[in-house]
Amino acid sequence: MNSLGASYVNDASGSVPRQVSTPEPQDSFLISPDDRILITGAAGFIGSRVVANLLDRGFRNLVCFARPSSELARIDAIVEGRPLGARIEVLKGNLLSREDCEAACKDVALIFHLAAGIGEKSFPDAFLNSVVTTRNVLDASLRCARLRRFVLVSSFAVYSNCQKPQGRLLDESCPIEEHPEIRGEAYCFAKIKQEQIVTEYGKSFGIPYVLVRPGSVYGLGKTEITGRVGIGTFGSYLHLGGSNTIPFTYVDNCAEAIVLAGLVKGVDGEAFNVVDDDLPSSHQFLRQYKKNAKHFKSIYVPHLISYAFCYLWERYSRWSEGQLPPVFNRKRWHAEWKKTRYSNEKLKARLGWTPKVPTAEGLRRYFEACRRDGRYA
Amino acid sequence: MLKVAIVGCGKIADAHASQIRRIEGCEIVGVCDREPLMAKQLFERFPVKQYFTDLTELVDKARPDVIHITTPAESHFDVARFCLEQSCHVYVEKPFTLYAEQAQHLVDLAQRKGVKLTVGHNDQFSHVARRMRALVQSGYLGGPPVHMESYYSYDLGDPSYARALLGDKRHWVRRLPGKLLQNVISHGIARIAEFLTGDSPHVIAHGFVSSLLKQINEREIVDELRVIISEEQGTTAYFTFSSQMRPSIHQLRIYGPKNGLVLDQDHEILIRLRGQKFKSYADMFIPPALFAKQHLGNLITNVRLFLGRDFHMDSGMNYLIESFYRSIREHAPLPIPYREILLTARIMDAIFDQLSTCRSNGQMALQARPVPPGTIVPGLES
Repeated sequence: MNSLGASYVNDASGSVPRQVSTPEPQDSFLISPDDRILITGAAGFIGSRVVANLLDRGFRNLVCFARPSSELARIDAIVEGRPLGARIEVLKGNLLSREDCEAACKDVALIFHLAAGIGEKSFPDAFLNSVVTTRNVLDASLRCARLRRFVLVSSFAVYSNCQKPQGRLLDESCPIEEHPEIRGEAYCFAKIKQEQIVTEYGKSFGIPYVLVRPGSVYGLGKTEITGRVGIGTFGSYLHLGGSNTIPFTYVDNCAEAIVLAGLVKGVDGEAFNVVDDDLPSSHQFLRQYKKNAKHFKSIYVPHLISYAFCYLWERYSRWSEGQLPPVFNRKRWHAEWKKTRYSNEKLKARLGWTPKVPTAEGLRRYFEACRRDGRYA
Repeated sequence: MLKVAIVGCGKIADAHASQIRRIEGCEIVGVCDREPLMAKQLFERFPVKQYFTDLTELVDKARPDVIHITTPAESHFDVARFCLEQSCHVYVEKPFTLYAEQAQHLVDLAQRKGVKLTVGHNDQFSHVARRMRALVQSGYLGGPPVHMESYYSYDLGDPSYARALLGDKRHWVRRLPGKLLQNVISHGIARIAEFLTGDSPHVIAHGFVSSLLKQINEREIVDELRVIISEEQGTTAYFTFSSQMRPSIHQLRIYGPKNGLVLDQDHEILIRLRGQKFKSYADMFIPPALFAKQHLGNLITNVRLFLGRDFHMDSGMNYLIESFYRSIREHAPLPIPYREILLTARIMDAIFDQLSTCRSNGQMALQARPVPPGTIVPGLES
């Protein structure tokens, strides 16, 4: 790799082997503790928690892949204070480079692919940084004879939230958006195409894969309030969620689910939604946020009005040939602001996942961090 | 029906495809990118007939009349040359080429082949830029420009591009001779070039790395540039590029012997600067009222354009593409004369030459140097 960055090994310094004091992973897992594991997006909000979770479980041969522009503070914080014995290699590179992908995938048994274009407004940029990069990692992984599983971290954004088989309940059986190009969200488009390419490689080349679709991930280090609660686009904060349940998952719980999706046997080809238990409504969350983090004014917009607004915006966008881009439309309303219930039954039943951090505690930590750091949405 | 193709399916290709489909009498017969996934995603999201990964195949199978080149700048010259050799009309995104010699070569080739060529200086075709051009052409300035000031700001906080550039030592923009400047300043330089009368102005450039970039140990990317341009005919110009000054502006101020004009691209505002003064205290009361009236007029114009569905963010690009197609169909003059394209390229060459000379000398000092005169500078094509 040309731009091998802060590569370091947290290993015994002398020739005498140091006693490993990390816990031993379960025998029932897909890989052994010394198998090489690649985590892309390892310096990110979720990726760093995945690294920590793997170390906590006793896995000791990790390759952390991060963008050249990434700050490694999160990884450094995880590595510091850990018992010696784990080998953590940090590679800084670009997944658009096939050479970098080859280097990252060398001899890996498990890939957690979290790197993606986040916050991109442009469709080509989001596509390039999510789909082309994923294809490159998949191509590189084809040369890994030892690869046991490819875990793609996707998103709830892929669901259309229309024509659900069980009414308001959104679970893994619900339909994926068929025309993401007209939902006006580059991220949604890229995530759906990313899932498609992983599925195609699974079918064509036999790559064992698992899709993980987290809901709204929150926690220390993330300040913005999910758009499912509301938006601040028009100067004032518009509260659109109302009584809707918000599909929150605390970042450590989400990381736990991702790690289990990579380790548990017998789930190849499956998709898992990740949401916590005891989810608050949008109203409840916003009230708590204002009380515990920062007070601000918000304007509640009833569902009927937000739907009409999305409909009219969509019509105007079409009529004006894109003078206003179609960022608000009925498909987006269904996906983000329609009243919906969420299930984590499959996650619990198949992966044995339980949310280690209860929602009340997660929110308490989150609000406290917002207050402490002075960083608000 | 004019058959159009797009080569390079990244971010700017989206803007091209969006505007081309708003123009009557043309269709996108093919898109091409070396990365098949990128070609396919553009094909899927727009009404495009076919997608390709090979340029030769695109030309052979789709048989386009016009090709838009929206690849990274370092490939513009080779792709444009190939397309012109295939007798296709070519629209090259900015920056036109890496060097003025390449620009000259493309212009000569287009003329030899009897096809047309333009560059994506679409800022010059926004509503406000067109209003300004019409005023200048009507003689509002009272003669040739005496002095111009072009400001072009760039926000390095833009996460999608600037952070990627700053964080990646292998980013393609770093491989350009003028690096970041080469990729962004042509809009601001072309605004000046349009109103220069000679072909060999003197250029004095001073560039430096801002303190902000130095703080993050960036030494390679020059993000502050000041340029003085002067020509024997008497017209002078200042060009300012800054990543740090606020507000972030994109403006042209042009002063003639009689009156002046201020074009504010960010707010689509055009202000007339009256050369004559009012008497005594009247000069402190009447002009503010007249300025207020002009700002109100700009507001009304912008609202009227918006309500008329003619105020798209890329309306300048739409107008430029439409004008280029009209020049092809009706043998009308090109929207951007070749002289202006070449002069812009030569001024940019002079700036980057001076910056690289200063860098190699370990300094960022002022250095005067005339722009080498071009071999042939064709005038306005008719």
